Amino acid sequence: MKGVIDIDYLSLILGYIILIIPFYILWYYKTGLLKDAVFAFIRMTIQLLLVGFYLEYIFELNSSILNLAWVLVMTILATYTVINRSDLKLKEFFIPIFIAIVLSVLIIDAYFLGFVIKLNNLFDARYLIPITGMLLGNSIKTIIIALNHYYKQLKKEKELYKWYLANGATKQEALVPFKKEALKSAFNPVIANVAIVGLISLPGMMTGQILGGSSPAVAVKYQIMLMIMVFSSSIFSVFLSIYFADKKVFDDFGNLKKIR
Amino acid sequence: MGYPDKKRINTTSTPIISVNNISIFFDENEVIKNLSFQVEKGDKVVITGESGKGKSSILNALLGFIKISAGSIYFFDKELSAENISEIRSNIAWLPQETALHFDTVKEIIYSLFSLKINKQNTPSESEVNQILNDLNISPDQLNREIDEISGGQKQRILLAGALLLKKGILIVDEPTSDLDEKNKKTITDFILSQKDLTVVAVSHDSYWINHSSKIIAL
Repeated sequence: MKGVIDIDYLSLILGYIILIIPFYILWYYKTGLLKDAVFAFIRMTIQLLLVGFYLEYIFELNSSILNLAWVLVMTILATYTVINRSDLKLKEFFIPIFIAIVLSVLIIDAYFLGFVIKLNNLFDARYLIPITGMLLGNSIKTIIIALNHYYKQLKKEKELYKWYLANGATKQEALVPFKKEALKSAFNPVIANVAIVGLISLPGMMTGQILGGSSPAVAVKYQIMLMIMVFSSSIFSVFLSIYFADKKVFDDFGNLKKIR
Repeated sequence: MGYPDKKRINTTSTPIISVNNISIFFDENEVIKNLSFQVEKGDKVVITGESGKGKSSILNALLGFIKISAGSIYFFDKELSAENISEIRSNIAWLPQETALHFDTVKEIIYSLFSLKINKQNTPSESEVNQILNDLNISPDQLNREIDEISGGQKQRILLAGALLLKKGILIVDEPTSDLDEKNKKTITDFILSQKDLTVVAVSHDSYWINHSSKIIAL
């Protein structure tokens, strides 16, 4: 196995220079995104550096309890990010979305790590942490798109929702067209992405594994498994987020409450 | 959702709708104050008045979409409450203003409410659909059109056709003739207001509709 070329910190700084161009474009068109973008990259850098140090330590210890605690922290952060980026009320939405994410990640982790890869220790840091991280990262994106679309449409087309309701629909029936559109908006790009993997894009995990010295054959198998996991957990988490949040956002008469 | 017999509304009791001293607030303003009226079976009630007087708020209150701050509303023998709202709504056909609803096709307007569990058994046959379209002065060929190929007036009549096909005893409707030309206004008003067993509660500005209603509530 060939060693990987390490990136020294000076080279890393050189890498940042390229960001001047995208940042300039965001600034020139007064998108209002520049501040967010700069902040996001600073945050990403600090987070990854800290995680890098922390993971080295956590991998060495490999204590099941510590690994689970780390997964819990990641899930809380994911929940917070979803609510924040969807402009929803933290107090109302934290518990339903947290439960939705925990359930979907637990089911998918248990199925693949226990049943498919057949790990002796389900909580092995080397598998549990990066895989859960990928599931969460991808679920966040789809939940944000789905929730935004769902509540935006419910507000915009509230007469349609009320029309169904007033003509005898149950709340669930009246919500079907909105759930359908939310799922379509969140998963259309995901499905398109799944279809082109390998032809146009080489996914991050597979690239990382190959760079890290794994054989492409092994990396491909992990990538296939991971794409199935990501897709399934994203759909579960979107479905469950909407399901649990629905219990909070409608009053006893089925009317949408103020949620933003 | 099931409707066990003991929870079923007794639809023979009278009056059909009883509004008792209701008040409705919109933001900070009390738009409706101490309003009472009764609706008997077959009544054609029209609520009329200037804009901003709370006409649509009354319809929204009847449907449980906004809360009343005082008073009570009864449908048959059941008070409008969270517990009874689904039974009450299952006895109503509701039509908001035409502009509020977005659909892709004419067929979708006619049939989408029949996909609901409560309405499935009333799914109309092709001849029933054709009959009602004829009654409302719409050619049945229009069924295969896209919504953007038809006029606002045609859409309004198709929506009315869908509401009538539900065969509910109560029709609650907001400005049913607002988009119609004079000839169609007359045809539609005559047709709906001549349905003997149908109880209608409408909001309308239209003098022909108002003059042919059996009860006028002027705000």
